[in-house]
Amino acid sequence: MLHKILCAFFSLIFISSVSAQDRTDSAEKILDEVVVTGTRTENKVSNLPLPIQVISAKNIQLSGSQKLIDILQMQTGLVIANNPLGTALQGYPNPFGDGIQMQGLDPAYTLILVNGEPLVGRNAGIINLGRIAIGNIKQIEIIRGPATCLYGSDALAGVINIITQEPVKNSMNTQAHYASNNTLGLTAAGTIKKNKTSFELFGNRYSSDGYDLDKNIYGKTIDPFVDYSANAKLIYDFNDKNKFTLSARYFSEKQFNNYLIYTQDQPQVVTGTTVETDASLFAKLDRKINAGLNYTASVYATSYTNNAEVFVKKTDSLYEKIELTEFLLRPEIQVNIGKNPVSLFVTGAGYNLEKVHSTRYGSVKELNSWYVFIQKQFQWKQKTNIISGARFDKNSLYPAQFSPKIAIAYKVKPNFILKGSIGAGFKAPDFRQQFLNFSNSLIGYTLLGSNELSNGLQSLQNSGQINHNINLEPYLHNEVLKPEKSIGINAGFDYTMNSHSTFKLNIFRNDISNLIEAYNLPFNKTNNQSIYSYKNLDKVYTEGLEANFSYNFNENFSVFAGYQYLIAKDKNVMKEIKNGKMYKRDPQTNVTTLVSRSDYKGLFNRSRNTGNIRFQYNNTLYKATAFITAKYRGRYGFNGLNNFQNGNDILDDTREFVNGFVLFDATISKQISNRWKAQAGIENLFKYTNKLLMPNIFGRSYFINLNFKLEK
Amino acid sequence: MKTNMKMKTMKLSALAFAALVMGLISCGKDDTPTPPDTKVSVTDSIQVPFSPSAPFTLYRFKDSSVVANSDSASGNWDFGIRFVNIIVNGSVITQQGIYDSFNSAPESGYVADTTVTTGDTSYVKTAIDAGFTTGWYNYDLADPTHTFHPKAGQFFVFKTRDGHYAKMEILSVNYLPFQGPAPTTLVYKFRYTYQSDGSKNF
Repeated sequence: MLHKILCAFFSLIFISSVSAQDRTDSAEKILDEVVVTGTRTENKVSNLPLPIQVISAKNIQLSGSQKLIDILQMQTGLVIANNPLGTALQGYPNPFGDGIQMQGLDPAYTLILVNGEPLVGRNAGIINLGRIAIGNIKQIEIIRGPATCLYGSDALAGVINIITQEPVKNSMNTQAHYASNNTLGLTAAGTIKKNKTSFELFGNRYSSDGYDLDKNIYGKTIDPFVDYSANAKLIYDFNDKNKFTLSARYFSEKQFNNYLIYTQDQPQVVTGTTVETDASLFAKLDRKINAGLNYTASVYATSYTNNAEVFVKKTDSLYEKIELTEFLLRPEIQVNIGKNPVSLFVTGAGYNLEKVHSTRYGSVKELNSWYVFIQKQFQWKQKTNIISGARFDKNSLYPAQFSPKIAIAYKVKPNFILKGSIGAGFKAPDFRQQFLNFSNSLIGYTLLGSNELSNGLQSLQNSGQINHNINLEPYLHNEVLKPEKSIGINAGFDYTMNSHSTFKLNIFRNDISNLIEAYNLPFNKTNNQSIYSYKNLDKVYTEGLEANFSYNFNENFSVFAGYQYLIAKDKNVMKEIKNGKMYKRDPQTNVTTLVSRSDYKGLFNRSRNTGNIRFQYNNTLYKATAFITAKYRGRYGFNGLNNFQNGNDILDDTREFVNGFVLFDATISKQISNRWKAQAGIENLFKYTNKLLMPNIFGRSYFINLNFKLEK
Repeated sequence: MKTNMKMKTMKLSALAFAALVMGLISCGKDDTPTPPDTKVSVTDSIQVPFSPSAPFTLYRFKDSSVVANSDSASGNWDFGIRFVNIIVNGSVITQQGIYDSFNSAPESGYVADTTVTTGDTSYVKTAIDAGFTTGWYNYDLADPTHTFHPKAGQFFVFKTRDGHYAKMEILSVNYLPFQGPAPTTLVYKFRYTYQSDGSKNF
């Protein structure tokens, strides 16, 4: 059956490409999108000297997907990265989720914005991307390379900015989505524009029964959940010079947990819920003083909570309760002088008030910071576009950060643009690294955040858990964790070969220093167990290239292909290898040898080769569109794969490689009438699964969508 | 029954034959003296409770045997393991390098465990570092097997309490199959060469 469908589909493509021969001149023009993320002002992509990708609402709709992570994954070089800590849990609810690895850097190093404002609430560095409903996204802008000079902490690998729709006309949209695993999505959106006021309301309910990939482990791999999200946006145009925007966003997810625990070695079922909420409020005033001067004043407040509560099923007694609350308040002002791309000066300043409370941190922790940024964008002799900028962040907990950046684009020909940029980025130490105070009851070790070290050690000694002979004096002055720092270089070109094909290439290198790692103190507790804290230790780099090619055969048939080559290595490991201090012991023969430079394959969980290909075909006769994507992730290393160990915890043996895989999705859309549209799709056609390492990938699944649209 | 008897006798005669051959060899030794091989090279595994408070499991190189913990005050054991902590009865050097090609024990540098006491609390500061990042093993929080990985290119040179030398390398630490979240027993697999003649040669 499936085979037949595919054959029919490919023959359609074939027919269309034959008929395309005689009408190539009507081929669809390459769009020059307008983006805001690169400069905090509206700019055409072609004027920006930065590597930028834009995912349009049209592409999101054509894919039919309901999940942001699936949509991001279609982009070259954006790889789903499970937190390896989560894979080690095997059957327990995985609190870490999966995020997006960009330029080989972990999800914690990419800033996620919604309409230019950050989401808070990372679990082990990962933001649950399910928090963003995709039904009212206008476009997604992805900037590669450090964007700290504009956005501050976390934007080392780059920025993903999700821009939601603006209410520009009276319209109403609804969608019903049904998919495998009893997954149901209901979306409704309405916009009203009347005189000076426009208003948008968006709501989404999304639920699933989850699924179980491993029947030998009690409980489901992905637990059932229900998500609710709502967005509201109100815009009031006082006149053509003053505009006021008020928007609110709310998300909640309730996950139904059911798993096995062992008390005194007796298995017991526990059930409960994990509730994640995310709410934000944003108010903004845009004011135009004259043609060359305008400013924006805004206040953003957001809160995130994650509360898990599970009970022993038999006795209904509380087994565990974990709570986390984060809050951010950010007033900000931005002034724009001049006009881009010819000459525009942007400057701004803001203040962050962050609060976090967790069952593992003791008291409420507070962090205050303020920042200023400046940016100059100008054109030089018409062929060269330059953006230079810098940002200064002053923080109550760690040393002040200065982050400059410069980017240059040179138009060799109108259709051939060379681009290059270099910038600094930083990532502030997270709350866990600073404030954790946790003792493991089973083994007896203690973890202390850098700011808790002094107090923690003293109270351990006072309670006799550290011997009184040990001189704690050298450790009582809390060592301030420095932010992790990066220098990112991107260079490449955009080549528009003709009116219907483009080729873009970007070469990148990121050098990260001061990576924060756990270490053990040189003395033990009286139970002989270690005390751990955090320190700036490691240095790593990532480098590689991203290539994107798009070709529109005609207005109805287009192909997009992308490829990323990546190398990511730990500099300390390379130094040890160079100094002849890194050994490996073959687990079969017990023969120990030195690790050579060519043995070392780099950081775990990074694929050297990734790629994607996408076909889009419109059949005007039947008003139908087919959208097919294939995503390839090449082999990557995993420590402890199949119990393999050679005694150095680095990737230096082919037995530590997980095989590469391809995910293949296909969606067919049909416009039934002006108002009705139907979609059907298959995800993961070839049923790739890896229950241990990729629990987020279900086998083959199917979905149908029904859309209704009303416009006036 | 009958066949068993037969096999036993056969075995006995084989042993007798071996003794005879060995006797012949030792006779021949008097003519061309070659030093006797006094080294014992063994690969062994011991089971250790998965508990930071269980008694140490004690081991003796000479005859590859586990010694009862009640004997801990004696010189009858060479090293002991509890969880990831290793104690030594004599003294020890943590050596970097390749085990196979390490042929002679260093002259000096051996460190013994020390007991630190204040008032009524005391603890043992072990000569072998068992720290999370600095110690004899690696532990990767992301490894789904949750096992300790003995660092490659690292082994121990022992000077036993009665002055003999041994080199020992831990090859793997695994769990016995277990039910529930926590293992009950660690299996330490290690190899060693013990020099019974008192010299430093391996």
